[in-house]
Amino acid sequence: MSTDSPARKEEMVMEHLVSLTYRERLTPNLNRFVDRILEGELIGHRCPSCSRVYVPPKGYCPLCVVTTSAEDEVKVSDRGILTGFTIITPVAYYGQQATDPFVYASVLLDGASTPVGGQDITGVAHGRIHTGMRVRAVWRPPAERRVEGITNRGWGGLDAVIESFEVTGEPDASPEDYKEHLF
Amino acid sequence: MTERCAVIGIGQTHFKKRRDDVSMPGLLREAIDRALEDAELSIGDIDAVVIGKAPDAFEGVVMPEIFLADAVGATGKPLLRVHTAGSVGGSTFIVGAHHVITGIHDRVLAVSWEKQSEGNAQWGLAGGRSGGIGAGGAFAPWIRAYIEESGAPEYIGWMVAVKDRRNAAKNTYAHLKMPDITLETVKESPMLWDPLRFHESCPSSDGACAVVLTNQAGARRSSKPAAWIDALSVRSELGQFPGRNPVRPQAGVECAHDVYRQAGITDPRREIDMAELYVPFSWYEPMWLEGHDIAGPGEGWKMVDSGETDIGGAFPVNPSGGVLSTNAIGASGMVRFAEAAMQIRGTAGEHQIDGVRTSLAQAYGGAAQYFAMGIFRSS
Amino acid sequence: MPARDIAIIGYAQTPSQRDAIQSEVQLLVGTITDAVTMAGIERREIGFTCAGSCDYLTGGPFAFVSNLEAAGSWPPISESHVEADGAFALYEAWMRLQEGDIDIALAFGSGKSSPSNPAEVWAQQLDPYYLAPLGADPVSLAAIQARALLDAGRATERDFAEVVARSRAQAASNPNAQLSGAVDVDALLAAPYHTAPLRRHDLPPISDGAAAVIMARGDKARELCSRPAWIRGMDHRIDPHQPGVRDITTARSATTAAKKAGYDGGPLDVAEVCATFSPQEIILREALGLPEGTQINPSGGPLAGNPVMAVGLVRVIEAAARIIGGSADRALAHATAGPLLQQNLVCLMEGE
Repeated sequence: MSTDSPARKEEMVMEHLVSLTYRERLTPNLNRFVDRILEGELIGHRCPSCSRVYVPPKGYCPLCVVTTSAEDEVKVSDRGILTGFTIITPVAYYGQQATDPFVYASVLLDGASTPVGGQDITGVAHGRIHTGMRVRAVWRPPAERRVEGITNRGWGGLDAVIESFEVTGEPDASPEDYKEHLF
Repeated sequence: MTERCAVIGIGQTHFKKRRDDVSMPGLLREAIDRALEDAELSIGDIDAVVIGKAPDAFEGVVMPEIFLADAVGATGKPLLRVHTAGSVGGSTFIVGAHHVITGIHDRVLAVSWEKQSEGNAQWGLAGGRSGGIGAGGAFAPWIRAYIEESGAPEYIGWMVAVKDRRNAAKNTYAHLKMPDITLETVKESPMLWDPLRFHESCPSSDGACAVVLTNQAGARRSSKPAAWIDALSVRSELGQFPGRNPVRPQAGVECAHDVYRQAGITDPRREIDMAELYVPFSWYEPMWLEGHDIAGPGEGWKMVDSGETDIGGAFPVNPSGGVLSTNAIGASGMVRFAEAAMQIRGTAGEHQIDGVRTSLAQAYGGAAQYFAMGIFRSS
Repeated sequence: MPARDIAIIGYAQTPSQRDAIQSEVQLLVGTITDAVTMAGIERREIGFTCAGSCDYLTGGPFAFVSNLEAAGSWPPISESHVEADGAFALYEAWMRLQEGDIDIALAFGSGKSSPSNPAEVWAQQLDPYYLAPLGADPVSLAAIQARALLDAGRATERDFAEVVARSRAQAASNPNAQLSGAVDVDALLAAPYHTAPLRRHDLPPISDGAAAVIMARGDKARELCSRPAWIRGMDHRIDPHQPGVRDITTARSATTAAKKAGYDGGPLDVAEVCATFSPQEIILREALGLPEGTQINPSGGPLAGNPVMAVGLVRVIEAAARIIGGSADRALAHATAGPLLQQNLVCLMEGE
């Protein structure tokens, strides 16, 4: 009996695709964040203990481990500093739609203590992108803004509201202004 | 009252892109049987089993140890599942050792594994979404920051890749063996996550690693040399917060200092004979040499440049070929501990370093925020 | 069994609830803070932390990583995580304390079952080669187990309903319970089958929740707590996975775990057992050897609230609370994992 013919090998593989659906209500703090970004405004929570501003609001400060609420809400700018980036060549996998190299950057908005990650950078060639660049949000038209991708787990979704961050052409920020925000 | 703990058995599977020849239970059993044979024990001699792997999404089975209980010989025994991201293999080893050190059990089997070909790791890492950045995408900005701060030449990353792939060619169980790889091969490979090239990145492997841990009485009964555990430590920190230094995470610094203190080491570069460090991307070798205070700031890449971390160097790093050559994610951390213990026992075969008396094992995970470290000695 | 004195001195849990509006991390922030406050310690005094959760329940890989944000993880902490119920995190932390170099440890567990369909998620825990393709879900398996118990003549459907009625009645005094109140056994029996021979009330509710426990060693425990719940022993064991190769009307590994935890069959004031389906309480009563007169699940148990990944640790909390509060001197807590009580953990606690 041959056990290594191609037909025999094929029989050894069992396809078992599983689809699981998760539906979770957004937390009140994220709900509020979503309401505001649909209006073109970015908010965070200022920790009452250490004054750090988290964007989007988490509902707590992970450093002080205290809860934050609507009373701690602050508005932050839609302009900021590019604090870190990479250019990714997409790897093909089930469900992957990206095919061309894309920018994956972190932006520290003016007034925020935490950068927003996973942002696209435009208005500059990939080869000229560098940390410290001043950038501003390119908002999608109000009717085109989508928030389905924003989840309690904080895995992005902002790109369906803010298309990208484009470089403003202002002088670069001093490394002193963002050295605490390498993420 | 605590016991000293020793490694008396080590087993690894052959690591490959796909191990279609075995099921998940068969893969684990391959490593376990080798570890038991090495320890001159049978599965019935084992009191408890500790099992580790990275996210369940990689294979698509929820808490797979539940169905693997029979295959790993755990029925009727305690079976504990550890998951601390990429460091999990190291953490699993440490949790296994705690069972012995506390005197709760005499002979413990710790096993870590990943069978990434059963599922889709990239899909898993991306949380089932499009636009996944892969592990390299998360680390690339910090690697860039290290290069900028240290002023290291770009060929340092290529050198680590060449060294590890050539070392792997000496390791029976390694996945990627490239005895003829050169700096040119790495330099010419595609850019994946700028500044990381294809050959500077780890593969995706199927495989498992198992160790048998015991106390002094158990080690005496073994006819082979034991690797004694002189220090173990774990540290975790937040993955993102203002003021965090992800290039030199404080958790990594403190974890290292804790194991040096436990082992009475004041000058790690001189007192430690070799290290197995978790280096999934080439630049993490100099980054951890500095991040664990083996080298001073900006000195780690110079250790690479001078050949000090080669098999014949003064401080060999990853003679096994490391994670760069073999990465069954859940197993990778335990392989570091197993390889560091093998160097003490003199059982590393072709990649054995002469006269290793003190070795260091390290694993990290998450956003460089989970650390597991250990120090082995020959007596 | 090593004789190091380790006791529970603080604990907290969220109410069990459907569709909690807080994220899993938010649930933990308040819970861990409350446990630390009850213990009367500062977070930095915690020498080891162990977390328990499940990626597949949360719905993403590395889901536990964000839970670090609730644990006070800066400066860095000595910490580990089990992909299991918080009761297994408690075991690891209890073990770590026995090394003697630290005095205080924190264990916690958390999970939200509302976002997914638990029957679909937990079906993926079965052997992927031989069982999962059959599509058996935990409820169907529990129904097979219940049927086996009936066929063995060891219980009746009325017995199942009586377990439920007592659970709901006892839960009336538990502010964290999701289902509580007086229910009539005959009325329960009049309800239609959900998955025969189980009715809807024989199944647990779908719950979100979190729980945290602080343990301390020896004199430190006495210093911080006037009446600590001393852990006399803790052990966990696992049975074969295939339901076909074991007697599903019993739980051998629960029997072994109880013995190894030092439980000798003697008097118990309270037993909090993780009977997720009502027939399992009958199975566990026998497997653990609980004597007559033991109050079983005074909190209402998992039938009154089932925050998976915390529910086992909640059993430990409910048992410990009665010792610390002075209403019990000896209590047993039980946690389980895997289909049909495959894996079982027992924690035996006493007052001074």
